[in-house]
Amino acid sequence: MSKKSRKLIRSTPAAPTVRADGPSNPDSIPVPAQTFWFLPEAEPLAVNERDLHDTMKQWRHGRATRSIWDAIQNAYVAIFSVLMIGAMITNLVLKAQSTMAGCSELACQSARTLVPWATWFALLGLALGISRLFGPVLVSAAEGFWLMDAPIQRSRLLSGRLRMAVISFGLGAAVLGGLTATLSGSSGLEIGLWTLADGLGAAAVTAFAAAEQTRERSKLTRALQTVLATLALATLILTVAVASGWMTLSLPVGSSTVVPAAAASIGLILLILELLAARRRLGLIRRARLVSGGSLVAGMQGAMYALDFGLIRDIVVERAAVERGFVKPTAGRGVGLQALLWRDLQRLGRFPRPLVPLAASVVAPYALDALGLTTINPFVSGLILVVVLVPFLSMLRVLSRTGGLARMFPFRTSQVRTAAMVVPLFLALVWQAATIPAFIGITSAGAERSALDGTAIALVTGIAGWLGAVRWVTAKKVDFNTPMVATESGAVPPALIFNLFRGIDMVALITAPVMLGGSPLYSFALAGVAFVLLRGTFNSDELKAQQEQLNREKEAAKKASGQKIQVQRPRR
Amino acid sequence: MAKRSTVLKVAGLSKSFGPVVIVENFNLEVREGEAIALTGRNGAGKSTVLRCIIGADQPNEGTVEVSGIRMSETNPDIRRDVATVIDDLDFFPDLSVVEHLDLLARAHGIADAEAAVDEVLHEVQLVPQSGQLPGTLSSGQRRRLALATAFIRPRKLLVLDEPEQRLDVEGVQWLAARLAAERNRGLAIVMASHDPLLVQSVATRIVRIGADAPATEVAG
Repeated sequence: MSKKSRKLIRSTPAAPTVRADGPSNPDSIPVPAQTFWFLPEAEPLAVNERDLHDTMKQWRHGRATRSIWDAIQNAYVAIFSVLMIGAMITNLVLKAQSTMAGCSELACQSARTLVPWATWFALLGLALGISRLFGPVLVSAAEGFWLMDAPIQRSRLLSGRLRMAVISFGLGAAVLGGLTATLSGSSGLEIGLWTLADGLGAAAVTAFAAAEQTRERSKLTRALQTVLATLALATLILTVAVASGWMTLSLPVGSSTVVPAAAASIGLILLILELLAARRRLGLIRRARLVSGGSLVAGMQGAMYALDFGLIRDIVVERAAVERGFVKPTAGRGVGLQALLWRDLQRLGRFPRPLVPLAASVVAPYALDALGLTTINPFVSGLILVVVLVPFLSMLRVLSRTGGLARMFPFRTSQVRTAAMVVPLFLALVWQAATIPAFIGITSAGAERSALDGTAIALVTGIAGWLGAVRWVTAKKVDFNTPMVATESGAVPPALIFNLFRGIDMVALITAPVMLGGSPLYSFALAGVAFVLLRGTFNSDELKAQQEQLNREKEAAKKASGQKIQVQRPRR
Repeated sequence: MAKRSTVLKVAGLSKSFGPVVIVENFNLEVREGEAIALTGRNGAGKSTVLRCIIGADQPNEGTVEVSGIRMSETNPDIRRDVATVIDDLDFFPDLSVVEHLDLLARAHGIADAEAAVDEVLHEVQLVPQSGQLPGTLSSGQRRRLALATAFIRPRKLLVLDEPEQRLDVEGVQWLAARLAAERNRGLAIVMASHDPLLVQSVATRIVRIGADAPATEVAG
């Protein structure tokens, strides 16, 4: 226990003692000893929220077993590695910036002009989406239970949370925006202005989401998010179109600095206005709304400790389903495995939203080709396809995360899994068909390939993305009962490290032959092996049971053949 | 009268977690039309036995056979014959109550799936919730849905882990009557329960599992 905690405990007034020896005045009527007390009749003292907050902070400090310095000392290897990798990345970024800045091709010029715009729209949309998902103002379950019902001014406690959310989103967006502007070869002034524009814009939309949260509204936030996502996509398509030479873009001189400066100014004004609006009504947010965001964060934190990204997604999906609550039931079709397949198809009609990012991701291979990144195009596009295909594999996810549901279907695990993989495969094939021109090479920057080669590489990318998504949703969670690996951060199960690369490994494996200049046939062969493994063909329990069944049948057959066959002699 | 065939045979089942022995040398034979109630204190090993019976956990020793087939959770024949309601049941977050039942009925090849689903929905009193997604159901309603998933499909053996959990008094009475009827129709039932009403009305045999004593059978 820390000194602070001991001090706090000592400073707490002692509990009232019970007088069980009866009244001091013998003439008065004897009163039984009191074992409970009502609240004092006197008005309670006003609570200072800041003091309360400080007390909570002290309690937390009291529970800490290590200081920050201790933690840094223990994690020095990790910190050193981060610094080394950070320096390497910075060096790479600076090199890329100087290369892009010196590039005078159409592709580079369009990227320099339009990519920061697309990033601005995308970052604002992302900040708005995440803010809406979590609150953005939230409290933990414990704070919600113990503090929010107390006679305190909630707004005073919550204002810190609002500030933290706005600053976090602002800083995050500023870093990402600045990085994108740097990589696209913008000048120093432009990079600075775009960094400001992205940071202030993201902070402003977070404050806007908080203001909407105080009014218990989400329609406007959703609408704005859709608009921003559409604009980001449209700008990205425009970038590809200009880089491919399909159209020309002539912007007035100075627009590359005026536009981000204007965006930053508007962002600042909106930030101030929305912060004031949110701050004024902060105390009106319902406890349930505050706690739900906190619970979501707590659940995700738990999943993050095990690096179980699948579980994080499950939590978000479950929450979205609870928010929706009710659906109009539709009758199923088919029997046996067909029923599973039809349900997966019907799900597409019911939840068509994931089709939008899937359609949008078709632009990615074209954009990469326009940027001249022909070699790594299959790998990067495959990874993007993994991300957009995962929502279509929700049936497979549920069937593979626990055995309970799969056990109810009268099929082999491999059959159930294959049925749940069909619809996403069909979508991946449609995606690859739409991206064939990008792999053939239609822009001026990318390398040219024959139609056959381009089609084969598009197919490899589509299959790699599909199998990567399957691997991502079916990967087993970390088993902490297995032997651990000793690291500087303590004992770690090996699966925890591999969890970081699930999905990525499949894409890298399948696209490696084509990226190294080999024949796509090698990729197809690897994909075939991966498919056989991922569909659960080699389930050890299943194989053991099959073997035992075979043995029993053999034994039975042996017994049967051992019995003498009685043949009736022919009568004469 | 023809001899009823053995549906479940458990022989010498032992299960331990590390040094802690949960169940040792557990034997059980269940025939058609028999209902076995596993009783015992919390932590006695009832759920562990059930999990081993359905193949969710692998026993350290011993064998489990269902209709003469060695237990393998992934064997389609066993999946076809054994209906379970234990704690690891999951639901599709985006399918409604009625769609879950419809999917299961169709997957098991039930000819008139819609009629079967309607009947079960009425029975478990989830008609008003038929369009609801599982995440919005109360814990009692989720338990009713779990039971409905076991009743909608063909089965030879029904394995239930504390099926009375979260059910109201009427619900437990309905469940007791339903399980007794199932047993009388020839279904084999193995259940763990703490509810005396359920045990008395359904069980033909009671197997008491204790932490410090071997399983003992009591005539039901």
